[in-house]
Amino acid sequence: MPLLEITGLTKRFGGLQALSNFSFSMGERELVGLIGPNGAGKTTVFNIVSGFYRPTEGSIVFRRQLLNGLKPHRVTSMGMARTFQNIRLWNDLTVLDNIRLARYARLDYGFWDAVLRTGRYRRAEKAVETKAREVLELMELAEYAGEFPKNLPYGLQRRVELARALAGNPRLLLLDEPAAGLGSVDVEGLIRHIRWIYDEFKISIWMIEHQMKVVMSLCQRLSVMDFGCAIAEGTPEEIRRNPEVVRAYLGDGAL
Amino acid sequence: MQRYAVNVLFCAAAVALVGLAQAGMLDKYVLTIITFMGINCIFAVSLNLVNGYMGEFSCGHGGFMCVGAYTGSLLSVAFFTNSKLFGPALFPPELAPFLFPLVLIGAGSVAALFGLIVALPSFHTRDDYLAIITIAANYIIISVVENIDAIGGPRGFSGMRRVVGAMSDVADVPWMLIWTIVGLFVCVMTIYRLMTSTYGKGISAVCQNEVAAEIMGVDTNRVKIMAFMVSSGLAGLSGALYAHVYGYVNAQAFNILKSTEGLVIVYLGGMGSISGVLLAAIAFTLLVEALRFVMPWLNDILHAANLLPAGYELSQVWKWVIIPLILILLMQFRPEGFLGNRELTQVFPRLKRWITLK
Repeated sequence: MPLLEITGLTKRFGGLQALSNFSFSMGERELVGLIGPNGAGKTTVFNIVSGFYRPTEGSIVFRRQLLNGLKPHRVTSMGMARTFQNIRLWNDLTVLDNIRLARYARLDYGFWDAVLRTGRYRRAEKAVETKAREVLELMELAEYAGEFPKNLPYGLQRRVELARALAGNPRLLLLDEPAAGLGSVDVEGLIRHIRWIYDEFKISIWMIEHQMKVVMSLCQRLSVMDFGCAIAEGTPEEIRRNPEVVRAYLGDGAL
Repeated sequence: MQRYAVNVLFCAAAVALVGLAQAGMLDKYVLTIITFMGINCIFAVSLNLVNGYMGEFSCGHGGFMCVGAYTGSLLSVAFFTNSKLFGPALFPPELAPFLFPLVLIGAGSVAALFGLIVALPSFHTRDDYLAIITIAANYIIISVVENIDAIGGPRGFSGMRRVVGAMSDVADVPWMLIWTIVGLFVCVMTIYRLMTSTYGKGISAVCQNEVAAEIMGVDTNRVKIMAFMVSSGLAGLSGALYAHVYGYVNAQAFNILKSTEGLVIVYLGGMGSISGVLLAAIAFTLLVEALRFVMPWLNDILHAANLLPAGYELSQVWKWVIIPLILILLMQFRPEGFLGNRELTQVFPRLKRWITLK
């Protein structure tokens, strides 16, 4: 039984066909890449899977449950997490609070517990705090717990966003161009980090990435999109040699 | 012990205030000003939840105060007095001091329900468009109240003075001052505790990046409902207190001008800062009253300096030129308000040694 199964996904924005009949499937403990030229529809796929857009046609099944039409926070609570192409952190909350909020969907207390500071509230907050500190520790961010994300360098902000995504204990992590805007040293660090996350947290990762170095060295399998369609799928080696992919995306002299 | 200094100070100040009022050392005018200061504090701190923490621009907060004022008045008149509208009192008047919290809770709850008028559109609307909806909500509430003849319509509604009187018959203490202090305490603690919990920080998350909030598992619609309901509920509480201090309510007292007053206080104090808004509410109330005395002086001085034509007297109306002028200057030179989005304890970290808030 695959972890995520997408069948015949189609999305039209008015007259624009952003995605046509896209199918994809991935199992547990896989690290898969999604590549394609700009505007190919990669982020649209992520936005539909994570619940921001409703698909025009097709179905998404995640852990045996149909995701079509579920709101993003419901999808998240089913065990999916994602990061964004442009970092979306809460800049006026501390790094620690950013991570704590990732546990929001699992809070088992309500308004009155918070206001009356009940035992249930204390227990839940303690658990959230422990978990958040643990994640920060694992991601080597502990020393920045009290900082505001806006004051951190770009590479660290990326790492905080990654930590926040992991804090919700996802089974599947969607990374939307995690290397965007990083320098070559940071990219090396990111590759190590992602591999380490994949091993340490025992999760599946599906990533969109433009930098060939990242996908080629990380992914076991790649799918390629162009103009809203999947045009190829295979191991990095196969993709590298696929003439159609080379033409559509990599360019003639790319590799 | 040191850590409780501010807390003890607050209690001591409250007790001293009530004591002074009880001993008759505060004249009625001063007592009323102090009580209104507390009511303005509740009103502004509750508005701050939406405008400061959630980053939406609500300009119709007066409407919820109106709902609270009328609900509170109707409940207390029905509970404790014989009236034409409700017939004989539901409870003996001697119970008034004990059951008055029920009136406040009832007023807050009904106002919170009215908060849904704004909360539900906020799912798909935000910023300027939502601001317009809040203004509309303010107008709708006031016209509805004004057009219900049974509760006085445009003439207003009274009878609350008898309830306060009934409380004084049981024990002759400054009841409304006490209830206002209690109300303020409840309001500040509610918002402080909410905003320091992970649950309440969902509000900040929605404010700072709604997309990230939704994707990280925050049910943004529920957060909005919660924030608007708490905010308007507490505004309702301030309304119920206001109605009983005045002894009379009129829907027009809660029109857009009242809402603007709340906005002015919040922007003066700093959005998203409870302590800043409290300071601003106190300063604003004092300023409005102080100008009442300053205007005649100013008139004399300007006449002495021959700056005003002999026949022209500076009237109190000029107060409403001076206050907006102060606002304009503030927005020019310190647009973030007194404290910005920081609390006093963040501006002066040493204060932390003196205060324990949990």
